[in-house]
Amino acid sequence: MLRTHSLTKRFGAHVAVDAVDIEVRDGTLHAIIGPNGAGKTTLFNLLSGEQRPTSGTIEFLGQEVTRLDVTARSHRGMGRSYQRTNVFPKLTVFENVRLAAQSRTRLSFALFASASANGALAERTARALEDVGLLAHAAQPAHELAGGDQRLLELAITLATDPVLLLLDEPSQGLSPEDARRLIDRIAALAARYTIVLIEHNMPLVMGLAGEITVMNFGRVIAHGTPAAIRADANVRSAYLGTRG
Amino acid sequence: MRRFAVLVALVALAPFVVRYPTLETQILTFGLLAVAFNVLLGEMGFLSFGQATFNGVGAYAAARVLIDLHAPLLLALGAGIAAGALVAAAIGALAITGRGVYGVMLTFAFNEMAYYLAFQWRDVTGGDNGLRGIPRPDVFGISLDDATRYYFFTAIVVLLAFAFVLRLIDSPFGAVLRAIRENEERARAIGFRVRRFKIAAFAISGGLSGLAGALYAGLFRFVPLQSIDLDTSTNIVVATLLGGTGSPYGPLLGAAVFTILSNALSHVWSHWPLLFGVVFCIVVLFFRGGLWSIPGLWNRRASHA
Repeated sequence: MLRTHSLTKRFGAHVAVDAVDIEVRDGTLHAIIGPNGAGKTTLFNLLSGEQRPTSGTIEFLGQEVTRLDVTARSHRGMGRSYQRTNVFPKLTVFENVRLAAQSRTRLSFALFASASANGALAERTARALEDVGLLAHAAQPAHELAGGDQRLLELAITLATDPVLLLLDEPSQGLSPEDARRLIDRIAALAARYTIVLIEHNMPLVMGLAGEITVMNFGRVIAHGTPAAIRADANVRSAYLGTRG
Repeated sequence: MRRFAVLVALVALAPFVVRYPTLETQILTFGLLAVAFNVLLGEMGFLSFGQATFNGVGAYAAARVLIDLHAPLLLALGAGIAAGALVAAAIGALAITGRGVYGVMLTFAFNEMAYYLAFQWRDVTGGDNGLRGIPRPDVFGISLDDATRYYFFTAIVVLLAFAFVLRLIDSPFGAVLRAIRENEERARAIGFRVRRFKIAAFAISGGLSGLAGALYAGLFRFVPLQSIDLDTSTNIVVATLLGGTGSPYGPLLGAAVFTILSNALSHVWSHWPLLFGVVFCIVVLFFRGGLWSIPGLWNRRASHA
């Protein structure tokens, strides 16, 4: 589904992402873990098109997308959620998600059509809200939602763009343990239908969820494998414990 | 829908209640300018400080078509719309490359350029003497020579334009403009080509402004240089903020209050803008949603009690 080749991003002398090769296979939930500053979010920005790599390539669904911007990659089927809640605050929950659904139609330049009276859009929107359990909050302005619900809305917006690949950047960041649990349950349910790449700090949570794990440190991939293999890996232990194994 | 019906009734009855059809026509054309401006500010979140550019260009285009080609009035209105939309799309495409206040300054700078161009190009615009001798042809065989008749003609055109804006706001296109206002980066990330929408919004706002300019040219059979100057741009911003940016009815109300006050006060006291400034400050400081939001505030207070 997604493959990078020698992907590198430099900021001046600092190499944030250093010759990373990863492969995300169809239907897997692939977690990327690593200490703070390991380059995970930069890698995500490169994958979703928010930043351009210094060198290396990205292949998505068999085609090179390295030079495409975030809008074009969204239309190819990449859906990204953000670490910081990134919604349309003053619009209602429903309108937030409907916009995402609308972006997949040819309606957006229709000046005389009615967005609120469009049945197909409303249906698609309701389905995405149902998927995250926010249908009851549809009429509320997004900024009035509780923190956990805002993250769920974030996810619903991404789902409504009909992606084939979900890139989820620390979805549980800043949530209470209960909210994090609720979100993870949703993600686990989505894993049956989507290929997912997940950045996550919460190790126990990742171990229970992911099929494959890539561990990064100092911009490099230091280990890759199943949760069991990662748990046993000496490199990973040293990266997390800060000792030289 | 009910609000629109009330508006139509108000517009239809106004000249029978108060017999100042020329002033009332001016309220409508200025109201249309404010509504057009608010498509950019209220919906998309872009402060365009050069709206008079599109008004002036539309007025000159319509006037030239009427003078040189003896074209029908509706065609002249079409020329005003087309000229306003084209110029606004071009200026908008450049202005949106500037972030935040720099974009505002670009619309300002282009307005200044347009003003000097109009000032210098006397053959086309009449320079600071204004453009005179504009005919006001019949429409469908109906003479519009009388001021009240011209008022009703303007009323129909402005109400149609207003209905178009109401429709636009409920359209998928309008939803994208609000998405851009709320979170431009996210709008891009979910797949919208933000630049295209911004340029289209400029074209629509400019087209409506050009239409207002064309109607104004027909009203006075004259286009003064003021129709393209920065004072007019400022007045549009002030009237809109006075009325409120949250709904297209706000700018319309603001434009009406602004036009009536400026006419009433300027007869009494030549320093009237001072007084108006005080009113403006009070509204902006204490009624952030403008005059249009005041009845809503009242309701909310009542429902809390």
